[in-house]
Amino acid sequence: MSTYVYGIAAAPGPPLPDGLTGVGDPPRPVRTVEREGLVALVSDAPPELRPKRRELLAHQRVLAEAGAHAQVLPLRFGSVSADDETAGGVLEERAEHFRERLAALEGKAEYNVKAAHHEEAVLHRVLADRPELRAATEANRAAGGGSHEEKLRLGEQMATAVQAQETADEALLRSVLEPYASEVSEGPRSTGWLANLSLLVGEESAAGLLDAVDELAELHPQLDLRVNGPLPPYSFVERTGATADPPVGHAAR
Amino acid sequence: MTVAPAQQQGGGGTGNLYDVLELVLDRGLVIDAFVRVSLVGIEILKIDVRVVVAGVDTYLRFAEACNRLDLESGRNKSPGLPDVVGEMTESGARGKTKGALSGAAQTVSDAYRQAREESREREEAPRRSTSRRKEERE
Repeated sequence: MSTYVYGIAAAPGPPLPDGLTGVGDPPRPVRTVEREGLVALVSDAPPELRPKRRELLAHQRVLAEAGAHAQVLPLRFGSVSADDETAGGVLEERAEHFRERLAALEGKAEYNVKAAHHEEAVLHRVLADRPELRAATEANRAAGGGSHEEKLRLGEQMATAVQAQETADEALLRSVLEPYASEVSEGPRSTGWLANLSLLVGEESAAGLLDAVDELAELHPQLDLRVNGPLPPYSFVERTGATADPPVGHAAR
Repeated sequence: MTVAPAQQQGGGGTGNLYDVLELVLDRGLVIDAFVRVSLVGIEILKIDVRVVVAGVDTYLRFAEACNRLDLESGRNKSPGLPDVVGEMTESGARGKTKGALSGAAQTVSDAYRQAREESREREEAPRRSTSRRKEERE
């Protein structure tokens, strides 16, 4: 029976709710494998595990439960060990490394911030900032929408202006939020966001971060902001890749 | 333009769930001694909240959007002030943003909550476990 591994924590491990289950159908009970002052949070791995929504959620749920009480190094979804013994062997072999990462992340959590534009609001914003575009809009409207060419010309200018606003707003977001984070990581690439940032935030800075996001939304109504956190530090478990000073203006799309 | 549903207080939007699941799939510690489950078939997560095609279609779309815009509502305000826009979108977009943010301010991830509730839907009192967890975090 192979062993599904969710995460790694310091022994004896966080208290887990009775009956906590993980992946599989029926969901498999979560247990721990202890070695070298560390525990791996594991369950039996169901045969033919697929990356279905419910399985991803189960993985996340186990880490959320465990992470509520202690720092946990989250493994990426779908990590399967040959058996408990092999999982324990990994703890033993890399105990130093895991302990270092646990210490480095102690008291910190990941906050993922995504930003998009409310379309109508950003158009208003752009027209307010650029009288020539507003004039063109009014002229087109007076002409019953304008000719095909006039529409194209205005549309192109608007598209360019909206893109510039996206770049400006991404830079704004970074400059306002980064001071609350000890590390920043660009979120996974997906379309539709002008920014997708993961921030590693200490407990003492979390309230400040959320207030800053609230204030950004207040001052810049074109911004559609979403915050998820506190999360297990998915983006920060490995030392490589994450820096406190990523390039600005590098839109995630 | 986003199609993500507004976050309701106490509810869980699926938009939020996807926000977290991309991290579960894409981030986290990878240990080479462990086998990774094949990720074939995860298209379910690749949702595009907005498709922007550069070119004529985009331009026409923007021109149409400008044509439909309520210019009058901002007319007598001095341009460039954020609250000009704020007032116009107050009832719609802004309210939606507010809803999402007050959810965030509770520092309880909707995804956590929904995941928990889904997992316990056949068990008793999911709400109670949610509030218990909140207390524990504090």
